Amino acid sequence: MRRFTLSRAAAVLLGLTLYIAGPAAARAQQTATIRGTVTDSVSGQPVTGAQITIAGQVRGVTNDRGAYLSNVAPGTVTVRVQRIGFSPGERQVTLTAGDTTTLNFALHSVAVTLAQVMVIGYGTENRARVTGAVSTVNGSDVQNQPVAGLDAALQGKAPGVQVIQNAGDPGNGITVRVRGAASISASNQPLYVVDGIPVQSGDFSQLGPNGQGVTGVTGLDPSEIESITVLKDAASAAIYGSRASNGVVLITTKRGSAGTAHFSFDANTGWQQPERYLSLMNAKQYVAFMNQGAENDGDSDPFTPGVDDAHSTDWQRAIFRTAPVGNVHLGLSGGSDRLKYYLGGSYFGQTGIVLGSSYSRVSGRANIDFDATPNFSVKTSLAYSKELDHRIPGDNSLTGVVTNAIGEASIYPVRSPNGQFAGNDYDLYYANPVAIAELNNLPTTTDRFLGNVEGTYHFMPSLSLTGRVGADVLTMNELEWDSPLVDGTYAAQARGVAKSGYSTGNQYVLESFLTYDHENSEAASLNIVGGGSVEYNTDQLNFVRAEGFSSDQFHYVRNGTVITSFDGLPFNNNLISAFARANYSWKDRYLLSGSIRTDGSSRFGPNNRYAVFPAIAGGWVISDEPFMGDFGQKLGRVKLRASYGVTGNQGLTGDQEISDFAYLGLYGTSNYGENPGIAPTNFANPNLKWEATHEFDGGLDWYPFGGRLTVIADYYHRLTSNLLVNRPIPATTGFATYWDNIGNVLNRGFELGLNSVNFRSDDKNGFSWNTDFNISFNHNEVTALFQGQPFGDGENFRPISRVAVGQPIGEFYVLHFKGVDPQTGDAIYQDVNGDGEITSDDRVDAGSPQPKFFGGLRNTWSWKGFSLGSFLEFSYGAKVFNLMRIFADDGGYNYDNKFTYALNAWTHPGQITNEPRASFDGTSGAREISDRFIEDGSYLRISEITLSWRIPDHLMPVGALENTTLYVSGHNLHNFTKYTGYDPDVNSNGSTSNIALGTDYYAYPRARTISIGLSTNW
Amino acid sequence: MRIRFFLAAALVTAAAACNNPLDLKPAGSIPESSAITDAVGARAALFGAYGGLQSLSYYGEDFPILLDLSSDNSEHTGTLTSLGDADLNELRADNQTIAGIWIAIYDDINRVNEIIAKVPQVPNLDPDEMHEIIGEAYFLRALNYHNLVKLFGGVPLRLTPATSINDPTGSTRATVADTYTQILKDLDSAQAFISNPNQTTQASLGAVMALRARVLLYEGDYPGALTAAKAVEDLGQYSLAPNFSDLFAEDGSPTPEDIFRIIFTAQQFNNLSYYYLFDGRYEVAPTTNLMHDFDPSFDPSDDVANYDPVDKRGQWSISIEDDTQEGTKFRSVQGTEYPHVIRFGEVLLIRAEAEARVGSLDTARVKVNEIRARAGLAPIGSLSQTDMLNTIIDERRKELAFEGDRWPDLVRLGLATTVLGISAQQTLYPIPQREIDVTPGLTQNPGY
Repeated sequence: MRRFTLSRAAAVLLGLTLYIAGPAAARAQQTATIRGTVTDSVSGQPVTGAQITIAGQVRGVTNDRGAYLSNVAPGTVTVRVQRIGFSPGERQVTLTAGDTTTLNFALHSVAVTLAQVMVIGYGTENRARVTGAVSTVNGSDVQNQPVAGLDAALQGKAPGVQVIQNAGDPGNGITVRVRGAASISASNQPLYVVDGIPVQSGDFSQLGPNGQGVTGVTGLDPSEIESITVLKDAASAAIYGSRASNGVVLITTKRGSAGTAHFSFDANTGWQQPERYLSLMNAKQYVAFMNQGAENDGDSDPFTPGVDDAHSTDWQRAIFRTAPVGNVHLGLSGGSDRLKYYLGGSYFGQTGIVLGSSYSRVSGRANIDFDATPNFSVKTSLAYSKELDHRIPGDNSLTGVVTNAIGEASIYPVRSPNGQFAGNDYDLYYANPVAIAELNNLPTTTDRFLGNVEGTYHFMPSLSLTGRVGADVLTMNELEWDSPLVDGTYAAQARGVAKSGYSTGNQYVLESFLTYDHENSEAASLNIVGGGSVEYNTDQLNFVRAEGFSSDQFHYVRNGTVITSFDGLPFNNNLISAFARANYSWKDRYLLSGSIRTDGSSRFGPNNRYAVFPAIAGGWVISDEPFMGDFGQKLGRVKLRASYGVTGNQGLTGDQEISDFAYLGLYGTSNYGENPGIAPTNFANPNLKWEATHEFDGGLDWYPFGGRLTVIADYYHRLTSNLLVNRPIPATTGFATYWDNIGNVLNRGFELGLNSVNFRSDDKNGFSWNTDFNISFNHNEVTALFQGQPFGDGENFRPISRVAVGQPIGEFYVLHFKGVDPQTGDAIYQDVNGDGEITSDDRVDAGSPQPKFFGGLRNTWSWKGFSLGSFLEFSYGAKVFNLMRIFADDGGYNYDNKFTYALNAWTHPGQITNEPRASFDGTSGAREISDRFIEDGSYLRISEITLSWRIPDHLMPVGALENTTLYVSGHNLHNFTKYTGYDPDVNSNGSTSNIALGTDYYAYPRARTISIGLSTNW
Repeated sequence: MRIRFFLAAALVTAAAACNNPLDLKPAGSIPESSAITDAVGARAALFGAYGGLQSLSYYGEDFPILLDLSSDNSEHTGTLTSLGDADLNELRADNQTIAGIWIAIYDDINRVNEIIAKVPQVPNLDPDEMHEIIGEAYFLRALNYHNLVKLFGGVPLRLTPATSINDPTGSTRATVADTYTQILKDLDSAQAFISNPNQTTQASLGAVMALRARVLLYEGDYPGALTAAKAVEDLGQYSLAPNFSDLFAEDGSPTPEDIFRIIFTAQQFNNLSYYYLFDGRYEVAPTTNLMHDFDPSFDPSDDVANYDPVDKRGQWSISIEDDTQEGTKFRSVQGTEYPHVIRFGEVLLIRAEAEARVGSLDTARVKVNEIRARAGLAPIGSLSQTDMLNTIIDERRKELAFEGDRWPDLVRLGLATTVLGISAQQTLYPIPQREIDVTPGLTQNPGY
């Protein structure tokens, strides 16, 4: 009878330090003894708590000196040692009865990343066992950034995740693309999941003051985040099925742990300024240039030198200001065995560098984990945030503050001598931007409640049932006041415009799933999850717009004389799902996982209501193979993985009334005066169904040099088919567009993430240097469209972007500029079809807004208590269409101010230059929309440099404070780029635009920020 | 304890799945199959067809504005390049404004086709009312197709609602002649069905006859136009408004001259004044050439402050402010005046031109002088046929300035090439590129 057989259940070890000893006395002479120590192969330190398995049976763990001892039956046995954070060790040994054999192990530690317990869909997994393409970002990497949302803070931090800021408006909607854009009309945004519950992340705004929208992501407080996991490939994301084809961003908020109550405090404050100014003409240059254009055409001079250019206004400096930004966060966490809590509250405030804009957010969270009974535990995560966003009109707007500051010629003053804003009295060409910023306002208040209650009941240690209820309740109130005192705006003649809009979005999720988690003595582990969920979405909007106010002092709808627009309607869409996943791992060397999910959506007709999303993945820790032998040990841990799966997209965009029911033929309202009328609004497509993305991913995780270097590389091939496209159809049917599944988009690419501990000293205060690097290459190509028909976007009055087979989405399609004729100064455009005319048939593919590669590089040096961190972010190969040049580089056809490089305009025959002749009547071709305005959008940005100092304990005036760090930080310090606008990381069509990308139409610039901060605990 | 928990979980999930949450209905729309199934729906569908005319891509803004820009009446003073191209008569097939007009007109044609197909099947609808609805629908279809043929030449003729996206009807362009045949056929149907003579914000017998007069004039059937115009006069219910400005009352007040005009309200507004007024967008402005036409003593190279016409139409339609000319025919800031699709003044001019063409110069002169008298101008004496026609064309220009008629006039009279210095190809608008791209077999107009 074996006296030292331990039951399987007790093999689950969590830091039990048991000294397994066979009593020296009273031992049958038939057993052999085996003993040894387990140490870290690099440092030689003992490894405690390492699990010893001999002949298939777990014998216990090593003690605090790393030693083990066990009595076993004689024979040839396999001894296996494993501990999280180390590569397992395994050896065979022959034991003879009565003898004591010594067997030591030196285990290779793997990088901390390997030891991470990562949150994946519906559970957690060790990084060691993950078979999909998954990236993690620490909460600390997205905190204390001078941006409102965590999405903006993710830029450059995870391979394969492209973040485009679109513009610098505080609180604006950010574009996040995981492994390339795949959708043409449906949403391209990833699915955001907070503590297991999908949350709303769309744009609920009804007012469109500018091309930028807002998204629900800014309502999530970055200070509360523990970690972010991005599920990038189909295998990891497929468990989220129908919303997962753009990737899934899993956010885990901070939770308490057992121990005494522990406060954490972070505060920082900074100052923002524009990172650069555009080089625009001053009054003298402007007048000279415009007159030159007039003289070239035989017109009379529009301006009088000496009179009109006597005073020069720098409109950019009139609207920009140094603006503060700051954040303060207080957290309290602690708990006992049974109750753990995390309470946190934050305030984030950002005044915009452009007059009239600002953003602030107050937020709080209570995460409570409670073990009601030994078998039943409850987790609650409750958060509330309130955002106040003062928006200003901007890109794509006729009365934008930045727009008019760039467009307004410098010959006008900001104010008249009597102190009023200059306007009609000076014949200002555009409405005075300072007046717009100061007299108009657009406060948007958003209240957000995120709540999630989860109960888990353990039938057995390995089997549990979890039920979750989540609510995401968002209420947005938008008010707008356009003052009649601003000359040159619609409000001036309408005697004021006031708008009031309410939008609410409510998402309720109920989920329950069983989890089976089993590890047996053969080092096989199996984890199975299966369950179902139901999601209800109820949205509602109300809107009123009024005009005709008797005084500028009334700003609300009540005081207007006429209602010019009204709206009110609820919207619903729901989802029912069932899902299952199994993860199997044998000896942590062979890994296999498969998942399947089926979703039913109310957005599709009975023909196609349900869809199934399967995935499979495998991994092989090749370095652990016996045949790799010593080479394997030297190489470091190498895991090869591959996955294949299908994910879906049902995110139709546009008019919600249509997109929720696009499969039905619909009649909507078309009133005629006071007569109620109806008219067709949607052409039925009963066969409308999901977009599906089939993705193959092959990856390598490698931890050489004893884990000092982590290399995670992936190659992926994603084909999205049955694209949901609101495609153009013959208008003779009575409809211009129609939701249909057409076409394919291919994204394939390569991602590389490196984490390196370049230099590490054993002394805690010694010098150390870490580097993190990630780079992503993506090739985006539309591979099929309906009958190959290309289509452009209807979002601009000037169609410049299009979707065409063989090209990336958003390829610019415009005339090709060949140069300026040295004899005449005319701009020469390529006559592609040779018909002697320059027409829209001569357009060519002129560049893509999608970069060839992008990424980030972080370096951290520390010495004693000081730490210096730098973060560079780069993007190469994207093109930007500088739409401002249609007016600011048009040869003098419009009265807008011009870029100073227009001063290089052709003036005499024989001159070689790239700027066409100045022409008041537009005869030199300078105002043609062509690739003359397409610029190189590559950039290298010094995104952050932070110097911090951890105050030594003995210098701390208040003893109770620990880990106090002071830091000074610079963000967006400099952007190296050839782009002549403010920032090439731009899209004036906002985060919801899929086709019109990479266009700059007077976008709000991003700020350079210098801040100081403090963080401490007690 | 376990069992109770299980049951609770099961019940919650079951309750959630009850009332199949995936069977939802839209809250603000009606399924197409139940839209025109009763009297209320039939009436609402007709109002919806009128509502289609209000579109900002149609009579609400772009249609009259773009057409006058193409002519010598107005010039582009704003920022929209699609309008700028029209002013220069250098249109591209990808012009978004033209695409919008094409889409808006075919949208309205589809609304009408739905009415014509479905209203006869509606139960419990009084036959007289049904005829009235269908008659008005035919009128609207004729109006829409005539607007299309004026701009583009022959176009695809859709006479039934589209049932399939792939219907090939949209890819064949009828000839100009066939299009006119269909228009006149629709007007005949309208006349047979319409019984209400008196409304002016919807089609009436007078409107059908007046439109027929216009259509025949454009087609070149002058005797036919003459008969039709005379028939409108013989109804005896229309006369010229005493003051030209009455026609453009900001609140849409009716005048005796109204034949068919479109309702606009503060919520369903037009943008005509917004585009013309200096305080608005000032996107378009009158040409000095037009100003000279109103005020012969005004020299186009003069300072515009010298503009001082005797012609009351010139006083109303163009104003000078701060040394800049602006089109002030439409003045409602809210966009609530009711622009006329057709009015009695135009009928008189059609009569005058038709009479002059068939040789009845005296009658022509009488009609022209009625228009001139209202404008405060001295009557004209006897003129030769050529001079009389030139005068009539000129009166048409001044009377209907900024209402979208000058460009089709120049084109039908063959004057566009000489007056504007453009080629024959430029007298037709391009079929929108987006339509060519999605409709295989659809031919483009030459030169685009």
